[in-house]
Amino acid sequence: MFFKHAIKRLSMARMPYSTDVKSALAALRKKTGYTFANCKKALEMHNNDLAKAEQWLNQQAQTMGWAKATKLEGRATAQGLVGVLVRENIGAMVEINCETDFVARNDNFKNFVSHATKVCAQYTEMTDFDGDLWKLGFESEALRNLKLDDGKTLGDHLALLIGTVGENATVRRAICFKTNNELSLFGYTHPSKDSTIPQPNEVRFGRYGAIVAFRSAETNLDLQKNLVQHIIGMDPNKVGEKGKDEPVENKDDEKCLIHQEYLLDPSATVGEILQENQLEVVDFQRFECGEPSKNEAFAAEKLVN
Amino acid sequence: MYGYRVVRAILCPTVQRSLKHLIYRRNFGTQVLAFNLRAPAVSVIPSRNYASEKKVFQRTKPHCNVGTIGHVDHGKTTLTAAITKVLADKELAESKKYSDIDNAPEEKARGITINVAHIEYQTENRHYGHTDCPGHADYIKNMITGTAQMDGAILVVAATDGAMPQTREHLLLAKQIGIDHIVVFINKVDAADSEMVDLVEMEIRELLTEMGYDGDNVPIIKGSALCALEGKNPEIGSEAIVKLLEEVDKHIPTPVRDLDKPFLLPVENVYSIPGRGTVVTGRLERGTIKKGNECEFVGYNKVMKSTITGIEMFHQILEEAQAGDQLGALVRGVKRDDIKRGMVMCKPGTVKPLDHFEAQVYILSKEEGGRSKPFTSFIQLQMFSRTWDCATVVNIPGKEMVMPGEDAKLVLKLIRPMVLEKGQRFTLRDGSITLGTGVVTNILTPLSDAQRAELTEGKKAREKKAAGKN
Repeated sequence: MFFKHAIKRLSMARMPYSTDVKSALAALRKKTGYTFANCKKALEMHNNDLAKAEQWLNQQAQTMGWAKATKLEGRATAQGLVGVLVRENIGAMVEINCETDFVARNDNFKNFVSHATKVCAQYTEMTDFDGDLWKLGFESEALRNLKLDDGKTLGDHLALLIGTVGENATVRRAICFKTNNELSLFGYTHPSKDSTIPQPNEVRFGRYGAIVAFRSAETNLDLQKNLVQHIIGMDPNKVGEKGKDEPVENKDDEKCLIHQEYLLDPSATVGEILQENQLEVVDFQRFECGEPSKNEAFAAEKLVN
Repeated sequence: MYGYRVVRAILCPTVQRSLKHLIYRRNFGTQVLAFNLRAPAVSVIPSRNYASEKKVFQRTKPHCNVGTIGHVDHGKTTLTAAITKVLADKELAESKKYSDIDNAPEEKARGITINVAHIEYQTENRHYGHTDCPGHADYIKNMITGTAQMDGAILVVAATDGAMPQTREHLLLAKQIGIDHIVVFINKVDAADSEMVDLVEMEIRELLTEMGYDGDNVPIIKGSALCALEGKNPEIGSEAIVKLLEEVDKHIPTPVRDLDKPFLLPVENVYSIPGRGTVVTGRLERGTIKKGNECEFVGYNKVMKSTITGIEMFHQILEEAQAGDQLGALVRGVKRDDIKRGMVMCKPGTVKPLDHFEAQVYILSKEEGGRSKPFTSFIQLQMFSRTWDCATVVNIPGKEMVMPGEDAKLVLKLIRPMVLEKGQRFTLRDGSITLGTGVVTNILTPLSDAQRAELTEGKKAREKKAAGKN
């Protein structure tokens, strides 16, 4: 205790104008947003040189982020966001989790989700393939090792995010789509910020997201949007084939897309709507934030049986 | 105070018990005002002597609901534990351990699962219910089900970190659930120096102002919840907690009690008693009524004035009925057929029928007994509130659909005006399924006749109209 006081007095003596120190600390905090404790440390190390302290903080942010990430590792992350991006023939959808829904609403978190989604889209762009549709799923580990433009991995950026919001966060999974020929992609989220059709290259966020590959002669974006919304809302597990898949008795339990009642007009089935508009759903993927992934669900089912 | 303690120590428990009896006897049935005046004397009587039995809740102080908000690692739970510990030392609360409060248990309120911790304690002046939830959605559910509507909040910020990016979201939530009064506790000051603490204070005031609170005048208390919990450094430990509670007492106003509001009784049944007249029965929701009071019946497009000529409870005449009483009231000059279940009997001019309003609604998940499918705008549901029910058309502003398990802001239009107020709770049902439960948050302009006619139109007519406009 005495020792602590002595140090305090010493440091006070070293800084004769304590108001200057205060304003320096306030300025540094305001500018960088790092915690007060770290800003203070940086200033003490660099004799109140703002520029140097800031530089040091930026250098340290990565290490401190990793330290925080290691410390918080293992805390449950049940909240989060799904980010969806579609541009031309590429689509990417990423799920990032965090501890509280407060953080999921924060701009820092949204920026990170946006970054991660764009990285996946970029990765997809570099891939060539034959055929109509190419799909690639990412697990957490692979995602963290993806490199961004600045040379850091997505994992590094995740650690920075954890350092900023002080909450555990995880990159859960991602899926990328790429199409050729007359196939087109449409991505949408729920709750969406408004009911407009997403701009090309615009990342949308929500608790739910879906990307759907359509085959059609002409594009009717409004209808496509409504169908993607239907998939998000009604959670089908497959598209289904006419003649092969029979409708189940209880309509509420229907999991086959073409036999489901259309969300916006329950008097028709999705199959009828598709036929009427000469549209085909080739494939789709739906993410729900915090849901067990297909592999996990499969493993759990196995365990039960 | 000290003198009293000595006297208390001398008096044996039995004497205390009879003394208490005496006080309570005298209080029984007296006015609220007189009751409050005597409150301080009653409240210091220790109730710990009966620890073995289930304690009887003593309504001697006004009640107020508060809650904590803040970042997960800034010590909300530690602060709550510290508050109970400091108050337990004054015999005003039961001390709770950190682990008792942490991991907010799942609670089923009106069939809805919420993660929430409820703790009670009292200061010298008031009795508190204290709410702590882990997430935004839980606070919203808590508001909707009304298990403990928060009258004010304690924002916890660690001095070492300052405000976090998500503190903005915490304050947005407070705004959304209608919290106007905030007290800030800067925690962990033992790990920071005074200039840092001052800067954190400045920063918080700035942020509060930016978010629409009176940042310059919000009370900010600095301390260490951990010190208080461990009984160390009383100047930043227990004393800071005492100071915090003083500010909460002062800054967060006591809500108006139901008893003090203008009276209102939702009509449950109407009888015609030969030779006496018309009797309405129901539970008095708020206020007090006496024989001779003027009253008004509102609902089903009708407003009728009358006078209460007699009140009965359990076949006995009641001089004055208070909120909560199940009673029958004899009313003058109205026929049985004029009044219907679902109307309200109230103090004239205090309520208005409404047919257009905004509400915050929680839609039950399938596990909670709700629908398995989402719904979109223009769905027609049956709305139940107080003793009435009415068909309503739902609009979802800003969203296209609402999934089960989600909360949402809805605009509801009733096919006929019913008595409704801001803060009133209701249930939405679809056939035999309870779809959701909500609370009225905002009253909108009444529907015109044309708008009302539109409510019963089908999808085809709506589309035709939309096409005609284009």
